[in-house]
Amino acid sequence: MEKYGIGQPVRRKEDVRFLTGKGTYIDDISHDNLAHAVVLRSLHAHAKILKLDTSEAENMPGVLAIVTGKDWVREDFQPMPTKSAVNKKIDGTPLNQPPRHAIAIDRVRYVGEPVALIVAETVSQAQDAAEVVEVDYEELDAVTDQVKALEPGAPQIWDDIEGNFCLDFELGDKQGTDKAFEAADNVVTLELRNQCVTAVPIEPRGAIAGYDKGTGKYFLQNATQNVHANRGTFADVLKIPHEDLHHMAPDVGGGFGAKNSGYPEPSLLLYAAKKIGRPVKWIAERNESFAADTHGRDQASTIELALDKDGMFLGLRTKTVGNIGAYCWTVGPFTPTGGSARTQGGAYYFPAMYYSAIAAFTNTMPLDPYRGAGRPEGSFQIERIVELAARKLGFDPVELRRKNLMPADSLPRKTPMGLDVDSGNFPEVLERTLKMSDRDGFAKRVAESAKKGLRRGFAIAPYLECTGGSPKEFAGVKFAADGTLTLRVGSMSTGMGQETSMPQILAAKLGIDFEKISYVQGNTDATPLGGGHGGSRNMEVGGSAVLQAANEVIVKAKQIAAHLLNSNTDDMKLSEGMFTDVKTGQSVSMEDVVAASFEQSRLPDGMEAGALDTDTIYEREIISCPNGCHSAEVEVDPETGAIHVERMWVVDDFGTIINPMLADGQVMGGIAQGLGQALMEEIIYDEDSGQLVTGSLMDYALPRADSMPKMKMAFYEDAPTAKNPLGVKGSGEAGCCGAPPAIVNAVLDALKQDGVLHIEMPLTSEKVWRAISEAKGS
Amino acid sequence: MYEFEYHQPKSLEEAAKLFADADDPQYMAGGQTIIPVMKQRLAMPSDIIDIGAIAELKGITVEGDTLTIGAMTRHSEVAGSAEVRKSIPALSSLADHIGDPAVRNRGTLGGSIANNDPAADYPAALVALGATVHTATREIAAEDFFTAMFETALEEGEMIVKVTFPIPQRAAYEKFPNPASRYATAGVFVARTGDAVHVAVTGAAPCVYRAKDFEQALDNDFSPTALEEITISADGLNSDLHASAEYRANLIGVLARRAVAKAG
Repeated sequence: MEKYGIGQPVRRKEDVRFLTGKGTYIDDISHDNLAHAVVLRSLHAHAKILKLDTSEAENMPGVLAIVTGKDWVREDFQPMPTKSAVNKKIDGTPLNQPPRHAIAIDRVRYVGEPVALIVAETVSQAQDAAEVVEVDYEELDAVTDQVKALEPGAPQIWDDIEGNFCLDFELGDKQGTDKAFEAADNVVTLELRNQCVTAVPIEPRGAIAGYDKGTGKYFLQNATQNVHANRGTFADVLKIPHEDLHHMAPDVGGGFGAKNSGYPEPSLLLYAAKKIGRPVKWIAERNESFAADTHGRDQASTIELALDKDGMFLGLRTKTVGNIGAYCWTVGPFTPTGGSARTQGGAYYFPAMYYSAIAAFTNTMPLDPYRGAGRPEGSFQIERIVELAARKLGFDPVELRRKNLMPADSLPRKTPMGLDVDSGNFPEVLERTLKMSDRDGFAKRVAESAKKGLRRGFAIAPYLECTGGSPKEFAGVKFAADGTLTLRVGSMSTGMGQETSMPQILAAKLGIDFEKISYVQGNTDATPLGGGHGGSRNMEVGGSAVLQAANEVIVKAKQIAAHLLNSNTDDMKLSEGMFTDVKTGQSVSMEDVVAASFEQSRLPDGMEAGALDTDTIYEREIISCPNGCHSAEVEVDPETGAIHVERMWVVDDFGTIINPMLADGQVMGGIAQGLGQALMEEIIYDEDSGQLVTGSLMDYALPRADSMPKMKMAFYEDAPTAKNPLGVKGSGEAGCCGAPPAIVNAVLDALKQDGVLHIEMPLTSEKVWRAISEAKGS
Repeated sequence: MYEFEYHQPKSLEEAAKLFADADDPQYMAGGQTIIPVMKQRLAMPSDIIDIGAIAELKGITVEGDTLTIGAMTRHSEVAGSAEVRKSIPALSSLADHIGDPAVRNRGTLGGSIANNDPAADYPAALVALGATVHTATREIAAEDFFTAMFETALEEGEMIVKVTFPIPQRAAYEKFPNPASRYATAGVFVARTGDAVHVAVTGAAPCVYRAKDFEQALDNDFSPTALEEITISADGLNSDLHASAEYRANLIGVLARRAVAKAG
């Protein structure tokens, strides 16, 4: 049993399927009579649709249906909702939220906005027809930069929303912070951009929709992270009862937030499926993914740090302008406001903090959560300003951090941003990271790099973040007479390994063979509710629901065991799959209890066959605070500006670790995406035309295996949180919080001798080369 | 992708006949360019003539001081060939760093040079090594072969059979890869063959070219320091998302010096 206990590196059960090509992704699924759809998308960043003529396309071979905005108007289909937790301006009035329809009605506002859905017998026929759909556009001026969008005279994206202003936001003590700045010996200021990126999951989005005329019910198989919430979205759009839509996510090949939301395409497919009476499949091309998967980050910020003469932090003031794209997407306005505010200041002790932000509309694909959704931005801001303060004021960067981290005895503490930090030991985590980082060998490594003409730099980046996502989760356990059981959970894996780690919790708690547990997720018929995946919530909320279910099973199993042993329930103790009477020493196995639960004659009064089956809902009261520390050593080639991230060392406090192998994987994946953002990834729109420049993998650079550093990871497990029964804090987004500042600061450390103080992400080789050249020149 | 007819001829004659008989035919070697272009519907050939099954287009041989590589030889085969590694290690290493493993396992020498992508690696090797392109009907010197961006001296329907490379005394290739595509942002191939030093630059300009001022300097003194005083103008160099003309000018100098140092 111990092999599958909590804390054991159980190998991912799903990997055999994934690695041998046996996974079932959307495009692996077929149906009888399946029709195929393509989406005709806007080629313009901003234009009026003067004419949309589908008559020629409708007569093309194989064409079954064409859906346009006219259908949406005629059917009075509803706009998709925005569920931003921040939904009011500072003055208390609601955010400016334009209607977000699944298809353009009379105007397009970003390149890639759906204009028509063409359904045909084959994809090729649908593409042929899409080419002859006649759309007359009247181009309008476009703006894709959020700072420019707020300037007077900027192109107006929405006629009734003046100045492209969605909402403003503030958090913290403005007056107190201003006072702290007035009293400060030193103030350091930095303007920076956290550039726009996109998730690029290996499986593009896609869906199959169907409609049963007999029952009047729809089904949707969808590459999504959240079947329940998005079922509501699609059903509300189409004005059908939620229960009339059976929403399923089969194997999903990566999400990272980009598959969180209710996108336009599923509603179009559902409508088309009903219209033609056949199931309809749509699979995004990679260029559609770049144009029409939600983007992330894209914040322009000014950060100010106030310090006393000894380097103690007195206050932090941040002002951000966040791009949310052409529409309020599912939670888009939350990311640059509340999402970025909560963890301001990171792991440091600040007497005063103030955060303010504006979310602006632009002619870009809308933004929604991307791995971390505001916390990586906050982490990057604080770590960059601290590094800059150290450089400008002459402090040792490690020492400056060391003296300002929240002391262990200051916890629990509510930060000035209202974040409830209950547990952890940030100074200890920093020291452990430093110790791992082999600081003693650094000088020698610098010399070795210098021999090759390279600059070597080091940086350390503590981080503090928080979880998010839906607070409620369902877990259900159903036993079969043969001793096997099925675990259903409403949170879901898009490849992270919950098919292994969730059963692992159940197996460990019940003492049941791990192999006997099958796992079901991503199905609105299987669980009455589900929060899907997002905000590092899977283990925190989903895992806690599984634990709660296990405990409820044990309560009932003890009654059965006591009945079988003729003992008192209170005397029953469960250990390694055996119930033992602590008084008599008699015992009965969990397996036998499960068998008994199907035989009425062996059950106590009041229990019926199948009595162990348990459905439960766990609700999180308060979000957790994963934290940790990254350090990085990089080599920079001053002649070309090329960066090689050579090593990274990471200590994470994720609370209790359920499966260290999977937690390691989360950290490594987070580092890969963090490294990508630090060094190469960027969504770029042409400033004048609003065209997407980085529309393919030939233009949008992603890290590859050889971009990755040597990584050494460890966990600090001495501070489990009491906020949930598992004691877990969430691991999914941490890597994205720690890696970018560690890498960027290490590069700037390497260029210390060149006098370079700041380079905007991504740190492309040309930018680095130019920074060195310019510093030389000045 | 638009619909097309697919053919897989077994001989050069059969391929030529198929080509002559089709409306708008396209030869396909490894398909690493044409397939993505067709998938985006940017090309619509009526017939794809896959030349992968023609035996005489394959193989690597060394005879005397000449290395011969068949047009359909995959990049991974060139990279893995003991003959190539022994005769022109710089060419072996170049092939080993084209694109990614999937591209190297499909892409071919003939396909790459026929396409003449300005950022491809092979054109630099052919020009610097003074290679000869052999088609079914004639021989073309590498320098005359690459005429302009995506253009070559090939006539309509003319097929590359093999490329012959004189084995140099010393040679090296240095490339700065585009972070997204791993094509050459700039690449410099330096070779000393007989008395001549050739330096070919790819990725930086619309078409591969010889850097004559580098060659002159290296003629006198084959060392990195010989290149240090030469300034490279950004005029006429490519400028794109990943690198400006000025940055490419810098890279050409850096890569040339490193290639010379590597060639030894």
